[in-house]
Amino acid sequence: MLTPLDKSKWNEANAAHLLNRAGFGATPVEIERARQNGLAATVRDFVEVKADAASVPPPAWAHPRNIRAQRMEIKAAKDRGENFRTKIRDVRMMEGDEMIDLRRWWLDRMLNGPAPLLEKMTLFWHGHFATSIQKVRDAYWMWLQNDTLRRNALGNFSGLVKKISRDPAMMIYLDLQQSRQEHPNENWARELMELFTVGIGNYTEQDIRESARAFTGYRIDFTTQQFRFAPFQQDHGQKKFMGRTGNLSGDDIIDTLVSRPACAQFIGRKLWRFFADDDPPAPIVDSVAATIRKHNFEIRPVLRDIFSSAEFYSDRARGSQIKSPVQYIVQTSKMLDAPAPPPLAAQNAMRQMGQILFAPPNVKGWDGGKQWISTSTLLFRYNFANYLINGDAILPANVRQPRQGADVGFGRAAQYAEQIKREPIDVAKLIPADLRTKPREIVGVLAKRLFQTAPAQKELDVFAEFLESRGPDPTDANLRELIHLMMSTPQFQLA
Amino acid sequence: MKTKPTLQTRRKFLRTSMLGAAATWTLPVFLEKTFFALDALAADAATQAVTGKDGTVLVVLQMAGGNDGLNMVVPYADDAYHVARPRLRLASEQVLKVDHHIALNPKLTGVKSLYDEGHVAIVQGVGYPNPNRSHFRSTEIWQTASDADRTLNEGWLGRYFDNCCSGADPTVGVAIGEETPQAFAAKNPTGVTFSRPEQFRFRPSEPGNGQMSAEEILFRQLNETGGGDDGGTAASNAGGSIGAIPGKTKSDLSTLDFLQRTALDAQLSSDKILAIARKYKSTVPYPQGQLAASLNVIARMIAGGLPTRVYYASQGGFDTHAGQINTHDRLMGEFNDAVNAFVADLKQQGNFERVLVMTFSEFGRRVQENANGGTDHGAAAPMFVFGGAVKAGLFGKYPSLTDLDRGDLKFNTDFRSVYGTVLDKWLKAPSQTVLGRKFPALGIV
Repeated sequence: MLTPLDKSKWNEANAAHLLNRAGFGATPVEIERARQNGLAATVRDFVEVKADAASVPPPAWAHPRNIRAQRMEIKAAKDRGENFRTKIRDVRMMEGDEMIDLRRWWLDRMLNGPAPLLEKMTLFWHGHFATSIQKVRDAYWMWLQNDTLRRNALGNFSGLVKKISRDPAMMIYLDLQQSRQEHPNENWARELMELFTVGIGNYTEQDIRESARAFTGYRIDFTTQQFRFAPFQQDHGQKKFMGRTGNLSGDDIIDTLVSRPACAQFIGRKLWRFFADDDPPAPIVDSVAATIRKHNFEIRPVLRDIFSSAEFYSDRARGSQIKSPVQYIVQTSKMLDAPAPPPLAAQNAMRQMGQILFAPPNVKGWDGGKQWISTSTLLFRYNFANYLINGDAILPANVRQPRQGADVGFGRAAQYAEQIKREPIDVAKLIPADLRTKPREIVGVLAKRLFQTAPAQKELDVFAEFLESRGPDPTDANLRELIHLMMSTPQFQLA
Repeated sequence: MKTKPTLQTRRKFLRTSMLGAAATWTLPVFLEKTFFALDALAADAATQAVTGKDGTVLVVLQMAGGNDGLNMVVPYADDAYHVARPRLRLASEQVLKVDHHIALNPKLTGVKSLYDEGHVAIVQGVGYPNPNRSHFRSTEIWQTASDADRTLNEGWLGRYFDNCCSGADPTVGVAIGEETPQAFAAKNPTGVTFSRPEQFRFRPSEPGNGQMSAEEILFRQLNETGGGDDGGTAASNAGGSIGAIPGKTKSDLSTLDFLQRTALDAQLSSDKILAIARKYKSTVPYPQGQLAASLNVIARMIAGGLPTRVYYASQGGFDTHAGQINTHDRLMGEFNDAVNAFVADLKQQGNFERVLVMTFSEFGRRVQENANGGTDHGAAAPMFVFGGAVKAGLFGKYPSLTDLDRGDLKFNTDFRSVYGTVLDKWLKAPSQTVLGRKFPALGIV
């Protein structure tokens, strides 16, 4: 079991750690407030999310469409010998715009929403039940899955898996909607075990075949874009699965899997990796797994125990994680007290840093950790920081005016310049006026805001000397330069 | 004071002299520590290293979107071809005949000359079992060299970097483009990605005026010393103590050490790439177009001796569902002209013998043309492998145009046979380790 953190250990550093990991970072004022409120109250604020926090109004375009009619129309145009490609392109173009907007919408929830842990957990489940627009090809379905993940993010795990087994985006992604009695599709059945519940090595090929039969009859209604069940496609025969025999349903399979000891271990390890430590020692995984079993896979109390534990605040966990690209974008915006980058710039940045929301590389999701960082992504982070701080004026000409048709959705070059517009940040929000002429104090204030682990005095001196070299009365531009430098460091990548 | 590691190999010398050139102040403890770890890596026998002036180079050329193999390597003597392609067929009079059965697309004049010179291997009927017809999935299969029913995270080149190049220079893999190809995905990410050399650099806030700004100078200091030079940061960092022990692999470094090393790598690579880009310009004229521009960058990097083993470039636009004839001809022309210039450039440099180019596409296209003068997603297709040391000829068998799998050509050569051969014979890397099992070798090199 996890050991509760002693109340006396609650301090500013631990408060900052919790706000980084359970949410998306915080300003010094917010950290101080959390410190004053105490551990229990701060954890409670994160975990006890009001029911309506999950009822988020969808983006305006996110409603079911009659996809069947749309496809019939394209087919009819094709049959009439008309140029149906234009129609398909229009659909794709709309899909591209909707996806940019969906990413904007979610980043806005993370940055400004009332329940950061809910968004963080939704992000966790998105990586866990990884599903990509590249195959699903419909923004409404991607939103619908996101909504399902959010509504169940802190609830019961087996309930969530059952909802996901009926989620159209997932069904398309893993070909479940094609599964018929005569041809049970094993793609979903395999990933359900390998990636979603018990992990590799804890099932047999026979288990996959039998469970694939149990999930037959799951269908999507293409006129309403909703799940439907087709009893005539279902295999009603006897199935033998992990010691159970009978006319097992898909839900029976999920219940069986979640009851296996391997499931709590698998989910526990993944949760700990996401929230605390990339490389968890076995005893900690055992403790988290025990916590999960104790709470019968109810995620909310599990998270409460994790965030209240001494292990979560250990040296191993604190300041040791590389920010994911999404964390980088949201946390930096918070730290700089600046709006999120414009939708298109944010999407491009996610692409360059290797984590595009709603487009994980494959069904395994993002590996994270050191895999976020290569020479190219690190340099990109440094240069992206420059854009976040100084705005679009610093972008080189070829970025501000890309080639015509450079990418799907970005083809309209005239709109593009507008879509990446950004003002420089307001340094007055970060540096009190009375410190303006005191380089050392400025560096101290900024370091506290930007770094999770306090830099050594020697480094602080180097920054201060740099600022001093700019003259006795630094301009806003000088200060932005300093902030960019502080962010263009290995240390800034850590949270 | 620490004792400097003795430098026994040329590569170690290069690495350290680069550092020497970049670092204008005393080596801080952190760097000593990291370079000890690097040194341990260099001792690893499996490590693949080139100095940039010798050693073989692989250039992977992706034709994205699904290239119509039937109109690239044309079975002109087969009636079934002309029947299936009433509008798209290339007439026997126009095509560039290779033998009595197959010919090249009329636009591939340069490739044909190269073939006649004995430098092109045409591998026919390449694919894999249970072909997937989704761009996304099939590209992933080619990039990761997985079976069709398996998902792998690491790319095949990434596994080559992981297994055979640990401790090598980060420019061991260079991808030209906006995004790193999945083929490069690795447990310990290495390789660099950029579309223009000028782009792969740190941009200071203040505009440059030819000289290095104060900001840039400080940036260099910060990212070379990592700042944690007196142990202050390292000690308070969770994994700091781990990093103090020289590790065998990059993954043994603590997270902060890992970041610091990558930052240093980024800066050294950026310096090298920019320096080469400034110094080496091609005298061979290149045509317009994305692929030509990419190959031009690669040729300059090769000329400048970047210690790279694998370059990656791609040409897009092959998803020709409608009005294919003009589009595909244009793409073939672009490909031919870009390759022509690249080969001429390499020959002039004297590097043609060192370079092997391999093309691939996620799938070929349906044998039967569709109602819109295009073709739909197919399966097996040919690959080109060319270079000064390549054994020319036809490999594999041209698939039957009548014995089809759901309207598509059946493969007879697994694409991993081509990868395996390139790994074993060209890069001298154990293909079994990289691909997970042994595939039959081809006599292409």
